Amino acid sequence: MSKLVIELIINGNKRKIETSPSTRLLDLLRDDLHLTGTKEGCGKGECGACTVIMNGELVASCLVLAPQAEGAVITTIEGIGSGDHLDPIQEAFIETGAVQCGFCTPGMILAAKKLLEENSHPNENDIKRGISGNLCRCTGYQKIFDAIKLAANRLEEEERGGDKKND
Amino acid sequence: MYPRTLASQEYFATREIKEALDILSLYGNEIKVIAGGTDLLVQYYDRLYDVSGWLDLRCIKELKEIKINEDKMIIGAMVTHAQLEKSEDIKKYLPVLSRAAADIGSPQIRNRGTIGGNIVNASPAGDLLPALMAYGAQFKLLSNHGEIVVPAGEFFIGPKKTILKPDQLLVQIMIPLSCEIIQGSWIKIGKRKALAIATVTLALVVKMSEDNKTIKEARTCLGSVAPTPIEIKEIGQMMAGKQWFQLDFNQLSQLAEDMIAPIDDIRGTKEYRKDVAKRIMIHALKEIDSAWRRCFDEQISNRINY
Repeated sequence: MSKLVIELIINGNKRKIETSPSTRLLDLLRDDLHLTGTKEGCGKGECGACTVIMNGELVASCLVLAPQAEGAVITTIEGIGSGDHLDPIQEAFIETGAVQCGFCTPGMILAAKKLLEENSHPNENDIKRGISGNLCRCTGYQKIFDAIKLAANRLEEEERGGDKKND
Repeated sequence: MYPRTLASQEYFATREIKEALDILSLYGNEIKVIAGGTDLLVQYYDRLYDVSGWLDLRCIKELKEIKINEDKMIIGAMVTHAQLEKSEDIKKYLPVLSRAAADIGSPQIRNRGTIGGNIVNASPAGDLLPALMAYGAQFKLLSNHGEIVVPAGEFFIGPKKTILKPDQLLVQIMIPLSCEIIQGSWIKIGKRKALAIATVTLALVVKMSEDNKTIKEARTCLGSVAPTPIEIKEIGQMMAGKQWFQLDFNQLSQLAEDMIAPIDDIRGTKEYRKDVAKRIMIHALKEIDSAWRRCFDEQISNRINY
C-alpha cells in the first residue's frame, strides 16, 4: 500500500496528513482527525449522514477519496458555531425539536447551512430540494422544515439588526 | 518517465491531458480513471483497497469547461451535473440536458458527479444519456494513437459496456447547435424524487423547419428500457416531414411501447415499463405541443403587429 501526504484546510485549520490512495475523506475525518461529528450511514452516497462542505459545495464524504480533497477547504459540523456559541441553525434545530436520534443532524445542518447561504428565503419546496440528499428516519422531516424556516427568519432578523447598527 | 509496472495502489493526478494519456497507455488495463467518484466509489464500496491504482482527472482544468464553439456546444468530460443544471447556456440551448442533470441524485451527488463519468459508466439508467442521444451528441475520445469522434448512439454496447478502450480517455462532449426552433421534453420516472435510479426516462427533441409548422427532425430516446439507452428511430421516421398539428399522439406513443423490450427488475416489471413508456411519450408530446402553440401564437401576433 502506497502512502501519500495531503494538505487541506479543515474548519479553518491547515492540516497535513499522511493517508493512502483508497482512504475515503470520511475515514480521514473520523479516524485520522477524530472529527467524529461526521457520520457514516449507508456509505454509498444515499443517506447524507457523511455530508460536509468542500470548496463551498455540499458533498458526501463517503464518495470522495482523500487524495481528491488535496488542497480543499472543508467545513464539518465541528466548524459550525463554536464551543459555547451555537449557530442560529443549530439553535433552531433544538428549539423546534428537529433532533431525535441525532444521527442525520450534522449532515442536515450542513445542508441547511448551504441552502440558506444560497437562498435566504427558501419556500417549502426549496427546503425539500435543499435537503433531498439527507435522510432522517425519526422526525418525519416536518420539524426539520420548521427548523430551517425558523433559522431563515432569525438570520434575516440578525441581518436587519446588523443594518440598523450600521445606520 | 513512468516505470513499466504499476507500484501498489499508485495515485496519479495529472495537470495535462497528455500526461493522463501516457499513464493510460502504460497502465490503462489496471488503473481506474476517477472523475467525481459517485458511481465508482459505490461500485467499489467494499473493495476500494483492491483497486490497483487511480488516475484522478480533477487537476485537468480544460476538462471542466462548457463553451460554445461556432455551431457546437463543447462540454468538458469533468463538467459536473450541478454545472450543467446551472449553466445559462445549457438552459438556453439544451434545456432537456439541463433538466436531466437537475433530476440526478441529490445536491451532494450533482456537485461531484460528472457528465464524462455518467457516460463512461454507461448504466442503462444513466440520467444524462437519453438527453445526449436526443440532441445528437458526439463524444471525443483521445489516446496516444490519436483522436476519435463517435456519435452517442454508437458508444454504448451493453449494460456498463462501451467501445472505450483502456488507453482512451473521453475528453469532450460535442453537441450541434442549430438556428432552427427546437422543442424538447424530459421525463424521469423513479420510485422517489431524489436519489432514484430511473425506472424509465424519456428525452424527446424536435427540430422544426423555418415555417415552424413542419417537423424537420425528431429524436425520441429512452433510458432503463434496454441494455443501453436507446433511440426509437421509428418514431422519428413517422414524425419527420409531417406538420406538427397533423401528429397522432396516440399512434406515436404506441410505438414507444411497442418498440422497447425492457426487463423485470427491482424498479419495475417489463409490463409496467412498457405502459409507462407510452404514457410519458404522450406527456412529452403534449408538453411540446403547448410550447409549440405558444411559440406559434407569438409569431402570428408579431406578424399582425407589423
